[in-house]
Amino acid sequence: MFRKISSKSWFSTAILAGVLFIFSVVSLFVGVIDMNFGDLFSGGEKLELFFITRLPRLLAILCTGTGLSVAGLIMQQLCMNKFVSPSTGATLSSAKFGICLTLVFLPASLTTIWTRAIFSFVFAILGTWIFVWFVQRIQFKDTVMVPLVGIMFGNIINGVTSFVAYKYEITQALSSWETGHFSMVLRGRYEIVCLVVPLLILAFIFANHFNIVGMGKDFSQNLGVNYKFVLFLGLTIAAAITASIVVVVGEISYIGLIIPNMIAMFKGDKIRGTLVDTALAGALFVLICDILARIVIFPYEVAIQLIVGIFGSILFLFILFRKLKHGRKAIRLNKKEKGGESA
Amino acid sequence: MNVKELIKKYDGKAVVDSVSFEIQKGKVTSLIGPNGAGKSTVMGMISRLVAKDAGIISFEDKDLSEWKSRELAKRLAILTQHNNVQMKLTVKELVAFGRFPYSGSRLTAEDNAIIAKAIDYMELGEFEDRYIDELSGGQRQRAYIAMVIAQDTEYILLDEPTNNLDIYHATNMMKIVRRLCDELGKTVILVLHEINYAAFYSDYICAFVDGKVAKYGTVNEVMNKETLSKIYNVDFQIMEIDGKPLSIYY
Amino acid sequence: MKLTKQQWNIIKLVALAVLVLGAIAAFMFIGVNFEKPKLVQFAMKLRAPKLIAMLVGAFAIGAASIVFQSIINNRIVTPCLLGMNSLYTLIHTLIFFALGSGSIFAANDNIAYVIDLIVMTVVATFIYGYLFKKTNYNVLYVLLIGTVLSSLFGSIQSSMIFVMDPNEYDILLETLVASFDNINTEIIVFSIVVLAAVAFFLRKDLKLLDVITLGKEQAINLGVDYDRVVRRLLIGVTLCIAVATAMIGPISFLGLIIANLGRQFLKTYRHSQLIIGSGLIGMLALVGSQCLVERVFNYSVPVSVFITIGGGVYFLWLLLRGKRGSI
Repeated sequence: MFRKISSKSWFSTAILAGVLFIFSVVSLFVGVIDMNFGDLFSGGEKLELFFITRLPRLLAILCTGTGLSVAGLIMQQLCMNKFVSPSTGATLSSAKFGICLTLVFLPASLTTIWTRAIFSFVFAILGTWIFVWFVQRIQFKDTVMVPLVGIMFGNIINGVTSFVAYKYEITQALSSWETGHFSMVLRGRYEIVCLVVPLLILAFIFANHFNIVGMGKDFSQNLGVNYKFVLFLGLTIAAAITASIVVVVGEISYIGLIIPNMIAMFKGDKIRGTLVDTALAGALFVLICDILARIVIFPYEVAIQLIVGIFGSILFLFILFRKLKHGRKAIRLNKKEKGGESA
Repeated sequence: MNVKELIKKYDGKAVVDSVSFEIQKGKVTSLIGPNGAGKSTVMGMISRLVAKDAGIISFEDKDLSEWKSRELAKRLAILTQHNNVQMKLTVKELVAFGRFPYSGSRLTAEDNAIIAKAIDYMELGEFEDRYIDELSGGQRQRAYIAMVIAQDTEYILLDEPTNNLDIYHATNMMKIVRRLCDELGKTVILVLHEINYAAFYSDYICAFVDGKVAKYGTVNEVMNKETLSKIYNVDFQIMEIDGKPLSIYY
Repeated sequence: MKLTKQQWNIIKLVALAVLVLGAIAAFMFIGVNFEKPKLVQFAMKLRAPKLIAMLVGAFAIGAASIVFQSIINNRIVTPCLLGMNSLYTLIHTLIFFALGSGSIFAANDNIAYVIDLIVMTVVATFIYGYLFKKTNYNVLYVLLIGTVLSSLFGSIQSSMIFVMDPNEYDILLETLVASFDNINTEIIVFSIVVLAAVAFFLRKDLKLLDVITLGKEQAINLGVDYDRVVRRLLIGVTLCIAVATAMIGPISFLGLIIANLGRQFLKTYRHSQLIIGSGLIGMLALVGSQCLVERVFNYSVPVSVFITIGGGVYFLWLLLRGKRGSI
């Protein structure tokens, strides 16, 4: 029995990887300038173009997809809530706030992509940390309450960000990060997103620890795992991943929320078993959305955030309604709720 | 009130299955039975809060569905357990809602007199200007009963009125039920969990099992060892106190 | 002589009305050069439509939020938080493109507006009716799903505009969506007519709101045809939100703030007072803050930013207060 499951899970991973590879190749050859496989060998201008835009774009997409979905998975494990993610946990909005502050307060000579990354990382981790602290303090931890608080928290931070932006008249400059898009991903200005790779490896090494911490404080102390350290480490990794993506691509919502949930529907909750699948599925999702974004109004392209916003929210609604149908009893607030009018 | 062949299904499963009984006017009738026996659903249907799937509920020789809701509100009042008002409402204002079926939002002098009487009857005079969310559970329950009294209906339906009340308040509640019947001549129908309250304070008992009427009759007819053991599937002893049967179960 | 609560509330309402008048006067006259009658006239012409739009919009949002809260029996939920305003914006955009900018319909603002309102009523009744039924009025679910819906509508709308005209994206977005800086003045008269019609047709249902506050079961017990009344009121709410969004744009948290302030200020269950009170508070808040930001401080930050921050904090506070399971 056990073997059967594990071989099946290996199978799905292989399929995901295969599909991802096919779409990656497709993605390389979609663009304004017509390019085919032969052009790569004939060298010249087209090969140059390939290395300046197409390849960086693909790498950025893969990093974004894997990074955000794994960040979401880690946050969900650590917070013991299926609805926490960079976009429902104030991480994304805090990272953006950090970028906003660099634009305002650092002199132009210092606003390189690196200072932006450092600022957005610091604020992302602060925001996430405050949010988690906040959630852990709430007495009645309702499954749905947590993302609601997170979204509002994010809204408030976004409000403060736009206040600062209006006040210092940088709304125009900031709008590039408001809706994430890959069109500015070029060689020389996207490499920071590759920080995601070492962070993912780190996440994989600690996967079992995250699982244990996800079982609760007492449980992890019983197994000799340092609860606070692992919690902090996990959130830091998630925030760092998010920040390095936001700096390059801008805000892309929902990926960290829906991908882990979709995978968990099929494969259960053990993080070690689902981490790779989650990463692959996240990359695939972003890749498909990006191809769509590029061909919908060819030769123009739609910002990926808009496409992800549509499909992501539809999938999220699907997950919510499904949860409502199946897990009704587990999530009902209290008995009084039954009649509905006490609500 | 006469109920015939009442049926209610949820997801294809009959929760109430061909239930028939007749309610005696001017008496207290308790509906009892184990959890999920369908007693609250029956109560919901005879109070028009729950739609029936089949059957007849004739109320004063007319089917319940043919009554105008407003007219029915002058003859029949229902009080359920979930009364969670979010608004700032004083006791007096709550009781005044009982006059809504008669006068809408404009109260006449007669209405005011009836409201005052209802408040007096439930001994709520000192609380009448307090907000109901500031009252204790027992006081709030009394305020709702006062509203039902102000509604001045012949029939009063109470769905688990002793739920969430301690022994003192629950017993008081049952005494009030008795007074509603004896002093004001109301017909009271209750859903009860506590068999002994039903035995001590009502005239008739209707016992439900699995969506069917297992036994309907006077208190003495229902309160015997065999019937109760069959209904609840546990052993019972019946004692007699003050000439009324009481049960012990273990 | 000791005043009753009712009399007190009437005094409070009158006081509010006076304050609103003060705000109106301030908005109209601050910064106007009275020595040159030509300039005065010009300023009045410029400011009056904006003022009226704000007053009407604020009142509509306040009234709709109060009614909606009473139907759901919860003080945290407002129609705008569930994305009703984003839905209107989306429908407006859809119709604009479906009819084409050259057609007679699009040329006449009011006709396009009527179509907007009709489609909005049908779609919103369908979506939100389904939502309430599916979630069984579980407020947290309603809220979360509503928030997601709101962002879904927003994404679809932005994508559509972008797909239609990538070059003119920003300009189109601004002309299609009303805001404080871009108040839609052509439809003011018609909006007032719509609101008056809503109030007229729902006058009986509005009176029943006091009873509906007691909850579904109590309302039925007291002889209210609950489902029908609620359906009619929801249509009214939808129209109010559509009208407000059409004129002054989507401001998500305004309804939450003013409805709750209204309830706290008047402490009554009487909806005639609550609706008027919240409407007045909305007017005061909107006109007053616009006046302060625009005229007094000369700020570049739009009022909606302050409302978002304040409203968000207030919402979190309401959500986390969790007193007596009041969510």
